[in-house]
Amino acid sequence: MQLKKISGQMSLAACALLQVASPVARAAAADNNWQVDSAVLLYSESDGRVSVFEPALQATRTINEDEQIDVSVVFDALTGATPNGAHATESTQTFTSASGNRSYTANPGETPLDSSFQDIRLAGSVNYRYNLDRLSRLTWGANLSGESDYLSLGGSVNFEQDINQRNTTLMAGLALSQDTLLPSGGVPCSLTAMPLASENEDDVFQSAGNSDDKLTTDLMFGVTQVLNRKTLFQANYSYSQSTGYLNDPSKIVSVIDPATGLPASSGFFNTALTRNLPYVYENRPDSRTRQSLYSKIVRYLNEDVIHLSYRYYRDDWDITSHTLDLKYRYQMEGDFLQPHVRLYQQSAASFKQHDLQLGRDVDAATGEVLVDYASNDYRLAESQTVTLGLKYGKLLAANQQFSMRAEWMQQTIQEPGVSESEKTPGLDAIIVQFNYSIKF
Amino acid sequence: MSPLSIEARKDYWHGRFEAMASPCEVLVETGDRTLARSVIETVAREVWRIEQKFSRYRQDNIIHQINHADGKPVMLDEESARLIDFSDQLFQMSDGLFDITSGVLRKIWQFDGSDRVPEQDQIDALLKDIGWQRVCWEHPHLALAPGMQIDLGGIGKEYAVDRGLLLARSITDDSVLINLGGDLACTGARKIGGYWSVGRMISSHDQAVGLFRLIKGAIATSGDANRFLLKDGQRFSHILNPKTGWPIMHAPHTISVAAASCVEAGMFSTLALLQGAQAEEFLQLQQLEYWLD
Repeated sequence: MQLKKISGQMSLAACALLQVASPVARAAAADNNWQVDSAVLLYSESDGRVSVFEPALQATRTINEDEQIDVSVVFDALTGATPNGAHATESTQTFTSASGNRSYTANPGETPLDSSFQDIRLAGSVNYRYNLDRLSRLTWGANLSGESDYLSLGGSVNFEQDINQRNTTLMAGLALSQDTLLPSGGVPCSLTAMPLASENEDDVFQSAGNSDDKLTTDLMFGVTQVLNRKTLFQANYSYSQSTGYLNDPSKIVSVIDPATGLPASSGFFNTALTRNLPYVYENRPDSRTRQSLYSKIVRYLNEDVIHLSYRYYRDDWDITSHTLDLKYRYQMEGDFLQPHVRLYQQSAASFKQHDLQLGRDVDAATGEVLVDYASNDYRLAESQTVTLGLKYGKLLAANQQFSMRAEWMQQTIQEPGVSESEKTPGLDAIIVQFNYSIKF
Repeated sequence: MSPLSIEARKDYWHGRFEAMASPCEVLVETGDRTLARSVIETVAREVWRIEQKFSRYRQDNIIHQINHADGKPVMLDEESARLIDFSDQLFQMSDGLFDITSGVLRKIWQFDGSDRVPEQDQIDALLKDIGWQRVCWEHPHLALAPGMQIDLGGIGKEYAVDRGLLLARSITDDSVLINLGGDLACTGARKIGGYWSVGRMISSHDQAVGLFRLIKGAIATSGDANRFLLKDGQRFSHILNPKTGWPIMHAPHTISVAAASCVEAGMFSTLALLQGAQAEEFLQLQQLEYWLD
């Protein structure tokens, strides 16, 4: 007999023999109470855009048969540049950095990138899970995440109940999070003009305050069903409601003079006289309701495993998206290879606007913006993303596992009716991740 | 039926009986004697039922019927069919090393510590009656060629432990441990201390060499106990390769494996022994806890 991993098959065979649903419970000898997972993720966008370095650590402690606690810490370092929302034009464009004391420019034909985009983030979470009885479990979670200009606090509770001889698991969850934005230089007043940079920072912004808040409530319902010895089906519905400040304070929208096709430069936007640059800070509705339906099938083929999932999403900003994800785990002796394909497609938000037209959308004399909402954030645009990846995992010892994955992602942005030279360029990104886990 | 005794211990009730040629213990963590008695009796009845139904030494059961059908198909009840399905899957998973038709080799291999190693032509004569690939199994109909026999002795104890535990669990939420001749499993963590401690026996010692501390799941042990042959300085273990008819060489003497169910633990310890010198490598691959001697 060739040496091969057959524990998955054996478990299924034993379940069939004993007529029980999958015995998720592994045997636990008394001294194997800790599991530590560590990971380092590197994400890099092409053309010198965003790069992320993200180490993470998670420790799970099984206190006893009925209780488990896990603690995780993630650190992110972000550097690079990201489109600020203004689009490329035939002229040189000047912008003011978030702090107000520095300006940066984009050359003709160049998509304006905000290079002050760098931050570090530290996040931590704790989850405590315990059995209510033999067939039901409750998990309480708390998380905290902080950046220099962002603070997020959240809590969650999740209930799971096994029914139907443990062939079916029902799940219901509630999560709340409170986010506070603290942009340097204050929260910009939405739909007001970006001011010219000045040495005296205090003069620059008409600030809407030092901070603003967002509250998000998530509800989730799910069912996991064992279809047969080799197939598992999962479906989730989630409903999420966010209210409060939902803008990105660093994003702006160009104000274009239709007569020239260039950023407005007269009247209110005569920068030399009024110090108003022809860009206004974006504005989004102050509430967002998101719903999604997720379904997944896991199918075991002897030792190999196929994961196929589809997610349908829509929100009241008119964004609809479809995600199809396929992974095939090819099990070898002691190691595995897992190719991954993900296809993503989304439609644009109703207020996604390439630019604002002087006269039509903006009053030329007063600079008053006549539309309620506008954003040219490329993340709200119609887009398609293809991700191709490969993961390799190896068992180092009975209690230690190593894996690495590399993924290539390509995003294409669709902006109907926008000339080629003004379009937000697409994005290529590479993701590399290393994982190591140990039990003791 | 063999007698059954129940005694009080500090935090639990301790039931004992004999089954499948082994001592059997049932430990129930409760103060309630009536409940403990009900659990212990239920488990004992189930183990005895399985022994009667699947023992190869009896003439009134399904195994006897299958082994003496003279080539005709026998229609199996649902439980027997599940065991045959399981054996069939084990045969596939082990590339033919786990084979419930290989029991006939016992006619010539007697592992009594002597040097009586059979002759190759004796082995060859029996090999023609061995090979699961040659039986006709169409759920629920099983037909063996005349001369062939099946023996579920390699699964029976572990199956009885898991079945006993399932019944115990339907009676009580208190922690219950079943130990059937060294194959053990428990329903869940104890209220007091969390784990059950069970002496760990290996083949070359009469005394326990250590303790298993089990919170949940199962541990099963396979080994050549005192069952081997010694000839010209070579030790022949009682684990036979059904393809060659010869013992597997260089396997550890005792292998214990922890898994979610006793059936899984038992099959992994048996399959590991069948790997001979590669036993440990095989176990590492399965990512299970194990102990070797």
